[in-house]
Amino acid sequence: MALSIGSVAPREVGTEVLARSRARAALIPDLLVEAQRIANTVTSGWHGRRRRGNGDTFWQFRPYDQGESLARIDWRRSARDDSVYVRDQEWEAAHTVWVWADDSASMLYKSESAQVSKQSRGLVLALALIEVLAKSGERVGWPGVTNAISSRTASERIAAELMLASQSATTSFPPLEQIRSRSELVVISDFLEPVSTTLEKISATAQQGINGSLVQIVDPAEEKFPFTGRTEFRDPETGEKLTYGRAETLTQDYLSVFKARRDVLAEHCKRLGWNHVVHHTDSLASSALVALHIRLSGEAAK
Amino acid sequence: MSILGLTFASPLILAGLLTLPLIWWLLRLTPPKPKEEVFPPTRILSEIARNEETPAQSPWWLTLLRLLMAALIILALAEPVWNAQDKTISGQGSLLIVLDNGWSSGRDWDQRKASAQRLLDDANQEGSPVALAFTSQSGQADLTTRRAEELIPTLTAATALPLPIDLSELAEKLTQLESSFDTIAWLSSGLERAGTDAFIEAIRAKASSQTLYYSSDNTDLNILTKVNNSPDALVVTAERATATAGQPGRTTAYDQQGRSIANADFVFAADGKTTDVKFALPVELRNEIARISIDGNEQAGAVQLLDERFRRRRVGLISGGKADQAQPLLSPLYYISRALNPFSEVRESRIANVTEAVPQLIEERISTLVLADIGTVNDETRESLEKWVDGGGMLIRFAGPRLAAADDDTLVPVQLRRGGRSLGGTLTWGTPQPLASFDADSPFAGITVPGDVNVTRQVLAEPDIDLAEKTWASLGDGTPLVTASKRGQGWIVLFHVTADASWSNLPLSGAFVDMLRRIVAVSNGAIAADKTRSDASGSPEGRANAAEVFLPPLRMIDGFGKIVQPNNDAQPLIISAENTPTVTRENPPGTYGTNDAFVAINMFSDTANLQEIDRSQLPDNTLQRGYTNEEATSLKPWFLALAIALLALDCLAVLWMAGALRRRTIQTATAIIMAIMLVSPALVDAEAQETEINIEDTLRTRLAYVVTGDDRIDLISQKGLSGLTQFIASRTSLEPGEPIGVDISKDELAFYPLLYWPVSTSSPIPDTKTMARVDAFMKKGGSVIFDTRDQLSGGFGGNRVSAETIRLREILATLDVPPLEPVPDNHVLTRAFYLLNVFPGRYLDGKLWVETSGTEEEENPDRPTRQGDGVSSLMITSNDLAGAWAIEADGSPSLPIVPPNPTQRIYAYRTGVNIVMYTLTGNYKSDQVHIPALLERLGQ
Repeated sequence: MALSIGSVAPREVGTEVLARSRARAALIPDLLVEAQRIANTVTSGWHGRRRRGNGDTFWQFRPYDQGESLARIDWRRSARDDSVYVRDQEWEAAHTVWVWADDSASMLYKSESAQVSKQSRGLVLALALIEVLAKSGERVGWPGVTNAISSRTASERIAAELMLASQSATTSFPPLEQIRSRSELVVISDFLEPVSTTLEKISATAQQGINGSLVQIVDPAEEKFPFTGRTEFRDPETGEKLTYGRAETLTQDYLSVFKARRDVLAEHCKRLGWNHVVHHTDSLASSALVALHIRLSGEAAK
Repeated sequence: MSILGLTFASPLILAGLLTLPLIWWLLRLTPPKPKEEVFPPTRILSEIARNEETPAQSPWWLTLLRLLMAALIILALAEPVWNAQDKTISGQGSLLIVLDNGWSSGRDWDQRKASAQRLLDDANQEGSPVALAFTSQSGQADLTTRRAEELIPTLTAATALPLPIDLSELAEKLTQLESSFDTIAWLSSGLERAGTDAFIEAIRAKASSQTLYYSSDNTDLNILTKVNNSPDALVVTAERATATAGQPGRTTAYDQQGRSIANADFVFAADGKTTDVKFALPVELRNEIARISIDGNEQAGAVQLLDERFRRRRVGLISGGKADQAQPLLSPLYYISRALNPFSEVRESRIANVTEAVPQLIEERISTLVLADIGTVNDETRESLEKWVDGGGMLIRFAGPRLAAADDDTLVPVQLRRGGRSLGGTLTWGTPQPLASFDADSPFAGITVPGDVNVTRQVLAEPDIDLAEKTWASLGDGTPLVTASKRGQGWIVLFHVTADASWSNLPLSGAFVDMLRRIVAVSNGAIAADKTRSDASGSPEGRANAAEVFLPPLRMIDGFGKIVQPNNDAQPLIISAENTPTVTRENPPGTYGTNDAFVAINMFSDTANLQEIDRSQLPDNTLQRGYTNEEATSLKPWFLALAIALLALDCLAVLWMAGALRRRTIQTATAIIMAIMLVSPALVDAEAQETEINIEDTLRTRLAYVVTGDDRIDLISQKGLSGLTQFIASRTSLEPGEPIGVDISKDELAFYPLLYWPVSTSSPIPDTKTMARVDAFMKKGGSVIFDTRDQLSGGFGGNRVSAETIRLREILATLDVPPLEPVPDNHVLTRAFYLLNVFPGRYLDGKLWVETSGTEEEENPDRPTRQGDGVSSLMITSNDLAGAWAIEADGSPSLPIVPPNPTQRIYAYRTGVNIVMYTLTGNYKSDQVHIPALLERLGQ
């Protein structure tokens, strides 16, 4: 008999979200995207990657390995003792990361136990991620809205573009036209499309050589199904209505299906080498950001 | 059909209750409107289960509510009646109703009457012949039987009477009756009355089939019996009929106009039947009390009316002799106060001087003044005494050596012979005289004459034609002992002996106490009482004029303890020497007389010894009942109302479940909140602003100037104080806040130590209220520096004054200005921070005036600085200080110095620093000068 558990929140976009995302971004260290598969996209960044590679800054002397170019030998150092040393520079390189957050109608859902709507949380996460990446000197873009930008103010620019762009809220997956292979794609969505559709799209993207991360945003009400009694459910995207006399009888079935979907998605990502992060809107945005940070920087693998 | 006191007129309708299960089943089937939920993963749901359209059940409480509603309606239709009464009498036999309508019946009179009415109604239905008798009207009791409906008007007209009950008359009449009654219904008060036993016997004899005995519940019947005005409190005795643990009660005292004066609570001891209620009030207030009644006990016995007898008179005592505390028995006042204390309030004057003591005592509103052996008094005192006696005072004088020696004393009732006489001495020719018996006309009539009283000395009255008339008491040889005369409204009474035991042993006898009491009772305060003077103690007039006094009824107590106007039944009260008035049918309780003087007759004037009737004595065939006030109540409307209330509740519940109420509620709440927010901002803002300023002001010390309204002057003040603030901040450890202009008529001044007040001819003179604020500011430690800025334009010569100076004088006219002097050489101001000997501003020659700090300069010219606590609250200069201090934003001076000497500006700043330091630190510097001496003493 109480108030409805869920509601449709207004769409959030703009400076306020940007400010919030900056606050989140300030909580985590700079994000250096893992360099395993991205060695080729050499555009110099300005942050050292604390490993050897192309760059101007001295990193270390190491003993000369057989077969290396003789030009790399540092003779001045080698003259000091009997070994031959090679001078390594610190790797300074930028990487292109595409960040995209779902803006469809289902994302606007907010239940009473959630702090914000899924859309709001997704946008905050996306912009915070952009902020962090841009600070590290990565090239960041929003597919369908901007090109990849290499600028410290990338988050502001992208937020401005987002405000201007009249996004048609129909797609639940980013357009892939601009994205070249070997770049990184972060998709933030609730992935409530049928699982098969989602899997197909992911597979197709992976085939293009794009490495991806999925952030699945889940409202607590979707995860727990707290409905009881006679309830009429309405799908915000399709407008479909379903009435159940005793919603509580559905709980078990629904929860198992929901979990199965998530597991399938996670399994698929794992197979493709993609990252899959689940985030609930009743927890802090920074928790998702940290999880994402760990995955993208490859620290989880180490 | 009757269940638990509930009777149904149409019990068949109750069969409708059988339909409730059907209704329940129907109600369970009607589903409520579903909750609407937006839910993005609805698609998942559609994969799981089909759309379910089977209606859910209503919540159980809604079903219960509706079932209850249906049940209530069915019950209401069955016409339930609560407390339907059984028949009171059985059969058609003749009926005698004896209704007790005496003094105690007021409490439950309505119930008694209702019970009698029910008896009559039943008799009417049965067609029985009925006789109706009232106990308090036994004289007219009519025991002939009539048809019941004929008696109904009689019963309707009957009321509770404030009379004692005597059943013997009725018993006699009943016994003498030839026929007997089938049923006798005795609606009794349950209290033992005169003749109760005889009456029970009569009932036993005359009730052939049964007796109905109704009795009141007397556990909370309390009455007031006695009033005693003791020295420390007015004590009322309360009594009750049963010695069971009763409720504590409360009595209230009322004045003549019916206003409540005081309350006093009382509790009976567990097995006690009487208790004392004390009103510990000042005598004046106690004397105001006209009526005391027990709260919530609506019967005649719970009221006591007070008249003059219960008033305590205030008696003043003055003695001519020396009051010797060590030997009280030698003081005449000792005997008088001992005799008067039990029944009046005695005021003994502490002042020995008669001239002062008399007005003081009269001021204390005494009604009686006792002068023991006071001879001549001066004219002024005599006049005030005469005036007081004329106004109704009672002056009692006792003879003594001084009185005997006094010439032409006018304050005596009879002409006195000089010197007096003594009896029984060696050189006297008479023997000591005993008292003669008191004349019947005397107020002392009735007092037992003590045989052992001897008078050895007395003052003698000149024989006169009216001497006998004025004599209240005389000696055995006929010489007057106590004489009295009326003067104006009052009396002068003279005892021809002393108040101590030196002339006679009268003060040692009990008769002395009685005589004084009678005299004080005559004083009374009821001054115009000649016509109706009727007190039991009696006034001379009352006694003299008639043996019997008729007092018309003034106010009556009715059977419910209320004060009412007398009705025709009340007869004038006859007071005579022989009988004390009692409550009779002709003289019901109440007051008799006139408003100025009346006698109160109460239901009880002494212990009443209330007893309950011993019920075991009643005849065997007695049916005992109590009075009930419950009448048959139809519950149908209540049931229907409840059903409608439930219906409304149901509607609300349905609306709420459908969500309509919710939106409306939220909207309403929003609207209310909006309205509050719209109304409050102005208020909140104003408050916030004020607080803001105040807090800022209190946080930093800042200089302040008075806003004159002249923009040019205000600007210079502002700039000048800014300049000074900067100078102070750079040179001293004090860092004042930005200077501020204050409106002395509005702003709070308490935050500023120093107020710079440039005097301008264009500014209006502040009104007195504003000046009062400035005065308060100065008195609380603030300093004001007035600057007339006219040193240059003021002109020359001793008495030339400028317009500004005149204006300053006008401003200061309303202030409490202390004496002023130019700053002396050793004033603290000359060395508060800098050492200065001039105090220049833009001009050099004006003097700085400060409060003069007394004459210490002359006393101790060697002191380096003048002592003087506190800070001069007023400083006056004419040098235009602010003009010299004023700087522009770039730090350059705003105004030129006259004469153009840059050093003078520095000195002006130093003057400012010294003034500020002086106002902040006071005489600190003048203490500092002693430091060398102190250090030297400490051996440094």
